[in-house]
Amino acid sequence: MLNTTILGWVTFIYFGSFAFYLFNMVTVREFWGRLASFTALIGLLTQTAALIIRWIESYHLGIGHAPLSNLYESLIFFSWTIMLLYLIVEWRTKNRSLGAFVVPFAFLFMAYASLSPDINNRIQPLVPALQSNWLTSHVITCFMGYAAFAVSCALGFMYLLKGLEGSTGNSSIYVSTFLKFIPPLEVLDELNYQIVVLGFVFLTLGIMTGAVWAHYAWGSYWGWDPKETWSLITWFIYAAVLHTRFMRGWRGRRMAIMAIIGFVSVLFTYLGVNYLPGLHSYL
Amino acid sequence: MTIVLLIVITILSILGTVVPQKEAAREFTGHLDPALAFVLYKLQLFNIYHSVWFIIPMILLSLNLIICSWNRFPTSWRLFHKALFPPPAWSRAFENLPPHRVLFSKRETTEESVRLENLLKKKYRRVQREDTGKATYLSGCKGAFSCFGVYIVHLSVLIIIGGVVIGNLLGFDAYVEIVEGGSSDTVRLQGGDSLKKLDFTVRCDRFSLDFYDNGAPKSYRSDLTFLKNNRVVYKGPVLVNHPVTFEGVRFYQANYGTMPGGEAIIMVRKGNGKASMFRVGAGAEFKLPGSDVTGKILRIEENLMGIGPAVKINIRSAEGDIQFWVFQYIEAIREKNPGLLEKVLLFNPGRFEPYLFSLERIESRYYTGLQVNRDPGVPVVAAGSFFLILGFMVVFFCSHRQMWIKLESERGGTRISITGKSNKDHVGLQRELLRLVREAIREEG
Repeated sequence: MLNTTILGWVTFIYFGSFAFYLFNMVTVREFWGRLASFTALIGLLTQTAALIIRWIESYHLGIGHAPLSNLYESLIFFSWTIMLLYLIVEWRTKNRSLGAFVVPFAFLFMAYASLSPDINNRIQPLVPALQSNWLTSHVITCFMGYAAFAVSCALGFMYLLKGLEGSTGNSSIYVSTFLKFIPPLEVLDELNYQIVVLGFVFLTLGIMTGAVWAHYAWGSYWGWDPKETWSLITWFIYAAVLHTRFMRGWRGRRMAIMAIIGFVSVLFTYLGVNYLPGLHSYL
Repeated sequence: MTIVLLIVITILSILGTVVPQKEAAREFTGHLDPALAFVLYKLQLFNIYHSVWFIIPMILLSLNLIICSWNRFPTSWRLFHKALFPPPAWSRAFENLPPHRVLFSKRETTEESVRLENLLKKKYRRVQREDTGKATYLSGCKGAFSCFGVYIVHLSVLIIIGGVVIGNLLGFDAYVEIVEGGSSDTVRLQGGDSLKKLDFTVRCDRFSLDFYDNGAPKSYRSDLTFLKNNRVVYKGPVLVNHPVTFEGVRFYQANYGTMPGGEAIIMVRKGNGKASMFRVGAGAEFKLPGSDVTGKILRIEENLMGIGPAVKINIRSAEGDIQFWVFQYIEAIREKNPGLLEKVLLFNPGRFEPYLFSLERIESRYYTGLQVNRDPGVPVVAAGSFFLILGFMVVFFCSHRQMWIKLESERGGTRISITGKSNKDHVGLQRELLRLVREAIREEG
């Protein structure tokens, strides 16, 4: 299929973009930064085109539906939302250091989707449970939330790395240039807070659209299915992140560590839950 | 405290995704030592989400939310009022202003103050003006209500929990299986074997399923009829994702299966004559064309010995009884096992000469499995969810901003200083201040 071939290229484009962001950080030359952003944008546009082509191809097969219906399609869409969100953040903050930490997530999810032999990349017809108008809104809101949490996790790593700056042991000139390129700690912390808020609101919307859908499909808006339960656990974790920030002033290092823990929970909600028995078996 | 409760609920939730729950637990406990299984059962580990271990922290969390909100509310209320009527002594707010926030106008202070007051009124709901002999202060404020956002969020969570409780107390969750053509007015409640009688009768007229070319299921559909006092009140299909609601009770397509038996369509031909068709169920009798001989279907098998559908027929004539099987895919069997049908009399469809029997197909009778629910808590949960999102919008995206302008006469003109304060989003405040400065300059001409 044409779309899977193009998506295969996109994997490499994202890898290239990641490499250029890294060069940019160790050489501090504007050229690499511009090239990295350009490559990332080309990758996102190509991926958008591939998603549209896949959508059209599904109609040619007579089983037309949005490309959001199985593990392959969800991984592709996850990577797409991460890149979209990242490029918006880069454009708003005018800072490229985040790229070296976020783009690898997009690249890894693309590579997993394209290369894993366990993942079926064919366009499949929708089983009865998925034939719902809520499919699109549920998947989009959930993955916007997941993408925000991926960016937040990257910001958490950046915060911890930046914290190492000035400590003994990193004598290498590249390491210090690299660390210097990361924005100041307060900026990272504030940005991370805003991204977590974005992710939290989208996760809430994702759980709610899922509940409405379950109300029509499974007979109850909440059934303690493992994926539902884990999405609630993830929600609790980020609720705790925001609560401790507001009430106890937990910021900085603590916030960074909680952002990373939160994303582990997101990954388990998304992928790990498939190893537990449940109703969400198609994703 | 809140955090401790959240952690307890989280751990219990994780446990519930690892330990099999409810129906799944029955199989799991089979592998356990009975004594251990009994202890775990008594600890409600197989129904964690409805156990006391889960409900108690949830009650405590609700109480915690109520008490925290109750204690904090007066402070917020005071802050809100203070925000509406800011104190006059702002001199400190105007200390150390960056140069771009201080402007000079050639016009008089009174004229400038009227102009700037009108400018503020365009953007801010509440604008106040105050003259101290030395200077004129203008203040504009918006978003003071944002300090109440957190109460909207907490209240929404309580409303959602309330909706869940209403659903659990007043609603029910049941399941029923109805054979095609059959009807039922009782349903089996989940999590127990008790029955519940409905105020009406449901009949399943037909169950149908459809497949894609690749064999994946495409649709499951039950055509239902709802009757009250034997009168048809409503007819309609139920599909996955398309439940039907009747008198507040929702019916969901949840399951299906085939009934043993069903009906066989058989053809009987006498010599080279015309074939007659019979549609018969197991145990039913039929007369062979042009004779007094009766045939009877003894068994109907969906898949006999793995070689497809078959019926066992008994023929009773003056000479006595003869029995034999008739296979649907007889050509395929003949090709695979040449001579088998002739050798084994029991498999010979032409055993009762001169009649030849053939099986067209077996029409299975399906039963449909319907989930039957009533949940009066749904609108409450929906309302709670709506307010939760509303609360998030207020908490996260609205901030209480105050803009202050100080005007002082200086060298025949006016010195204008602009500053502001915000309870969150300081980047946004800087942007807004910059905009205000720009607008003040633009109107200057």
